[in-house]
Amino acid sequence: MEVVIASSPVDAGIGCWDLHSGAEQLRYRSCTSTPHGLACVGQRFLASSQLRDSSSSSGSILYWSWSKPQVEVKSFPAEPIHPLVSNSDGMYIIGGGSSGAIYFWEVASGRLLKRWHAHYRAVTCLFLSDDESLLVSGAEDGCIRVWSLFMVFDDIGMEMAKNPYEYSFSEHTLRVTDMVSGYGGCNAIIVSASEDRTCKVWSLSRGKLLRSIDFPSIIEAVALDPGEHVFYAGARDGKIYIASINAETTSSNSYGKHIIGTLSDNSKGVTCLAFSKDGILLVSGSEDGTIRVWDAKTHNIVRIYRLAKGPVNNVLVVRRPLYSNRQTSENSHSSFSRRHAPLLPPPLGKYVNSTDENVDSGAVSVPQTPSSDIMDAPYLSYHVLTKQISELQQQSSAATGMEVDRLNLDCKRSVEIVQKWKEMFAYLHKFCVDELLGNDQTQTQ
Amino acid sequence: MARSKPSSSKKQPKRGVDFKKIKRKIGRKLPPPKNATNTEIKSKAIILPEQSVASERAGLAVSKKGLTLKELLQQTSHHNAKVRRDALTGIRDLVLKYPAELTLHKLAIIEKLRERISDEDKVVRETLYQLLKLVIFPALKKDVPGSLISLMMAYIFNGMTHLATDIRLMAFKFFDLVVQHYPSSFFMYAEKVLQNYEDILRKNHIYLQDRSKLKNALVGLVRCLSLLPCNRRTVDPSYGKNTETQGSLHAYELEVPKEHTDFSSIIKRLEDILPILVNCFQDFIPLVHPMSSLDAQSFDCMLYLLRSIDLSVKFFLYGIDKHQTDFGVTKPTYNEKDMPVWGEIATPVFLRKFLEVFPLNQLHNTSGKDEDKFFILNIEITEIFLHSNEWIFTSAILMERFLEFIENLLSGKIRFNSRSGKALQEKHLTSLLPFIPRLVSLVANTWKSRLLQAFTMAFKDCKPESTLNLAFLSAIEEMLLPSKRQGILLLDASEPEILDHQITWIRELPVLLVRLGDTLSSLSKVILHLLLRLGQYAPMNSSLAWEYDIMQHTLGEFYSMCLDDGSILYGPFMKLPKDCQELSVCCLYYFSSLDSLLLRSLVYCCLCDNLEPSVLFRIIDVLHSAYKIGHLQLVDLISFFVTLVARWKVLPGRLYTHVENAKKISNRETFKAITGAVCSCLRQMGDDALIFQIVQRVILDEIPLNPPIDNLCGMLRLLVILDSRPTKLSEQSIIILSNSISEYLIDAASYIPENGDEVTDSNQISICQYYLVPCFFLFDRSDKLLNLVLDLMGSSIGEDNSSLACNHDTQHTLDLSSRIVAVVSILLYMHQDIKIRRRLSSCKGEITRILQKMRLQLIDPCWEQ
Repeated sequence: MEVVIASSPVDAGIGCWDLHSGAEQLRYRSCTSTPHGLACVGQRFLASSQLRDSSSSSGSILYWSWSKPQVEVKSFPAEPIHPLVSNSDGMYIIGGGSSGAIYFWEVASGRLLKRWHAHYRAVTCLFLSDDESLLVSGAEDGCIRVWSLFMVFDDIGMEMAKNPYEYSFSEHTLRVTDMVSGYGGCNAIIVSASEDRTCKVWSLSRGKLLRSIDFPSIIEAVALDPGEHVFYAGARDGKIYIASINAETTSSNSYGKHIIGTLSDNSKGVTCLAFSKDGILLVSGSEDGTIRVWDAKTHNIVRIYRLAKGPVNNVLVVRRPLYSNRQTSENSHSSFSRRHAPLLPPPLGKYVNSTDENVDSGAVSVPQTPSSDIMDAPYLSYHVLTKQISELQQQSSAATGMEVDRLNLDCKRSVEIVQKWKEMFAYLHKFCVDELLGNDQTQTQ
Repeated sequence: MARSKPSSSKKQPKRGVDFKKIKRKIGRKLPPPKNATNTEIKSKAIILPEQSVASERAGLAVSKKGLTLKELLQQTSHHNAKVRRDALTGIRDLVLKYPAELTLHKLAIIEKLRERISDEDKVVRETLYQLLKLVIFPALKKDVPGSLISLMMAYIFNGMTHLATDIRLMAFKFFDLVVQHYPSSFFMYAEKVLQNYEDILRKNHIYLQDRSKLKNALVGLVRCLSLLPCNRRTVDPSYGKNTETQGSLHAYELEVPKEHTDFSSIIKRLEDILPILVNCFQDFIPLVHPMSSLDAQSFDCMLYLLRSIDLSVKFFLYGIDKHQTDFGVTKPTYNEKDMPVWGEIATPVFLRKFLEVFPLNQLHNTSGKDEDKFFILNIEITEIFLHSNEWIFTSAILMERFLEFIENLLSGKIRFNSRSGKALQEKHLTSLLPFIPRLVSLVANTWKSRLLQAFTMAFKDCKPESTLNLAFLSAIEEMLLPSKRQGILLLDASEPEILDHQITWIRELPVLLVRLGDTLSSLSKVILHLLLRLGQYAPMNSSLAWEYDIMQHTLGEFYSMCLDDGSILYGPFMKLPKDCQELSVCCLYYFSSLDSLLLRSLVYCCLCDNLEPSVLFRIIDVLHSAYKIGHLQLVDLISFFVTLVARWKVLPGRLYTHVENAKKISNRETFKAITGAVCSCLRQMGDDALIFQIVQRVILDEIPLNPPIDNLCGMLRLLVILDSRPTKLSEQSIIILSNSISEYLIDAASYIPENGDEVTDSNQISICQYYLVPCFFLFDRSDKLLNLVLDLMGSSIGEDNSSLACNHDTQHTLDLSSRIVAVVSILLYMHQDIKIRRRLSSCKGEITRILQKMRLQLIDPCWEQ
């Protein structure tokens, strides 16, 4: 089920609507999200970084499971976290801090794997390239940096290299408001929007600016057409501008060079944009608390949702697993779904734990896939494995001998059972064949 | 002629005696008979250039002498030098006259001309050189296939190995010419050419006598070497980038593969040539030292030698650098093998020896002119030293010498004597300045402070319009901010002394900006860029960031200044081009707390008519963004906005859509847009109630100043947007507002279209609505305000009656009558609006009072006059 989730900086909770039917789902309570601070972690649960008053030194990140409106897990990182992203299978959560640092957590264990100083000012937006090897971060000082996740964890390589980052683009003069990347992993293009009223298109492979487009107003959000022909830029003046990437634009029209049209509803400023998976529906969140779904082909509004009185600042279109809905829809299965409701991982760590870092450097954690058949599979953590191994090693040889005997016995019994089954199968087979042949004979006769 | 004679003498004997026999002696020639006809025919060749049997020349391109191109080309290989030279000049005339001829037959022409490259005759070669230089190459600039060059090159190489030295040197000159016009050709023949250079330089002692020739050859070498890639220290490539060329980003790009030359062979050759250059230079030194004066030729030779050394050193460095940055990711152009040989072992030995020469001629204090020459040479050597210092570990003593020289240069202890010296010194200083940051970061502490001292002094002394500033600024940027390439800080700002210098530079920047005015907008742009980078990159809560914040006091002057007598002096901001303005506005965003003084000078700029509206909107945007991240106080921002709305000058003029009024209308539209922008900013700020209180307070301060109708309208709009249904206005403010609103309504009434007129201008209706709608909103929300306003309107009609019994001033009467008309039309207009009609019904008392007063006025005796 494809759902639209949206959050607001005022406490209006996280709204959740079915994109195609328009039915509102559960509303997850007590969320005051930061811009770009809402993430769906591996389709399993929702995470959002929270706005904090400036006095508190630590930040806060909350988790909601799909099935419950209450906050389930609260974590308090060392500083306020603004943007939050997770990789597609939900193994990691990456957050950008207000000091310019980027935090990298492992979801399953909650450990902070890495924290590095990425920018001189607060990080405003983050995203992963579609092959999830590159992390792109934008900051309040207008700087955009491209990080290779391989390099980030390669301490020696970091020291060797001149720059810890792959590229640093500093052509924007003011805060970067949003970024989006195209397809193609490290060969993709990125589109970035900034408060300096421009959107810039960059090439990740060549590391250079391809195009800079001036808009009549500040662009708060960008979304890229799946065919990468155009991109949509949500502006503070309430319009969504359509700027061409691939078409030749000869003359400058009423809006400016490369801008070929607008989607407009006379609303207040557009704050966020997201494309549905089919690439036709464009979802926009607005300053006036509504969420509009546009048909990008016909430029018409398909649907309007209302979240809150205050502005919307995050809109995501995610695929939500069906099982979580069963609790409400089918009461008979409530016990089943409760049993199967995924357990949320522990809270995120505050500091990089350096003491056991050396020992555990090869951490293994298998994410829980949302498909129902392996839902029960627990996390196979490195810790568990080491514990089991050490237990095995500590047991005396006698105990092992007994264990072996027992296993042998089991084996023998199993073999016998197999034999029995085989016989039964042979008998059945014979029986069936006889029946069929007999039927045939009777029919022919 | 003579034959007729003997035949006649043979016949005579047969005729007998009739004629007397004349005896003639054998061997004696007879005198010609008197009646003999002179049949002699004299012939002379007549050359008729216009009529040739072989070819019809009409319509053909011919030279001044009437020769076709073909003939001329044939003559170029004539055995007579003079003919060859004439042929070349002929070709020149012809090509100049008929340029098409050249493009048609370029291959044939070049094919023939190239043979003359190694002509024995000096004059012919010189003529050919001039011909190629002035006529043929410039004309063929656009389309030269490589084949043409290769045609030439074969003969040039031939000339380079010619036995006659003259021809050899001339061949280098020709090659120089080719490279000058087609730089890529160097890479095609680099190896061979360098080989030839090497040969010729090896035998330099032969040419020592003829230095001008050697100089020519060296010029060529310098030109070739400067084509080699090196780490160019450009100011900042991002300033002048051009990204608008591509129409379609995903389109298939016809990418011409970058000419990939195998640099390894060039490296090999250069490896050989560099020691020879050094030797050659050292050969000059003994010639120089004992002499009291240095002649121009050898000075030039030395200079070019040094340049060549410099360029080749740069090239090696580039190789090393590239090798490092590539890090094996892309195909390395340099073999692993080359690098270590170059980096550590081979060069330093003789280069170090060479550098030992420095400084030249410090002992002889000769004439001023000479000193300049040595000075230039010294600078060149210093440059080489600075280029190479990254991989040569020089001895401390030598290092000292260089550092002292640089320090002296910076502090101006060494100066040029000649008149043009100032410009020269600037030029050379520009070439040295880019090294300063790196040098400062490497040298020992004592030298660090001395160099920085000298640097800071020089920067301070530098005149604003000097070209040096650009170099200074890029050096400062490198020393202040983490560099773009490396991402690390060159200087440790925690050291107090360095910090002191950094602070001095930062403080100097706004001063320089103000002093520059709008004379050099490119330089202003660089400064603003630097300021912006500083704001972006200064670490939070560091002393640099602090210094950046302090800078806003001085930066106020850049925008505008309020003089003591109340007049406003606009700073350079107003006159700079738009991109500079945008940059400077962006700088505002990074002040961690914007000063109200700076805001004031900003608001003066905003209120100025000359400021472009787009820049004004940018300022609003940026200030709002700055508020959002907590860099600006809420009260300050609101008072900025309200001041803007209250004082912005809308050009007077009634708004009818006449063409000549278009400008005025656009001005009002701008004001509307400003009000709109401010409204949307105010609405996005969050807590409406709180903001309303502040806005109300500020507006009430402004209202007693009697702003023009448009500004009042704008302010009312601000109030309306933040207000809610039962009004939040306080009692006191309602009273103040009612005063001004009643006046305002009477003013606005003039825009109300007359009732009877059916075809009223739609434009006028919209204007009228624009003025009146905010009032209606206020009335709708507060009955009290409506009552008060109606009261005031009534009294405004009646007051004259009470105060002055009978006023005979007709002007005044007219005034009064128009006022009555206004009140009536407003009441009627209000009545049309359904919401207000409902409100009006509750204040019948006030309306009757107004009507009574009108009646009184009408029966007033004064009225009849």
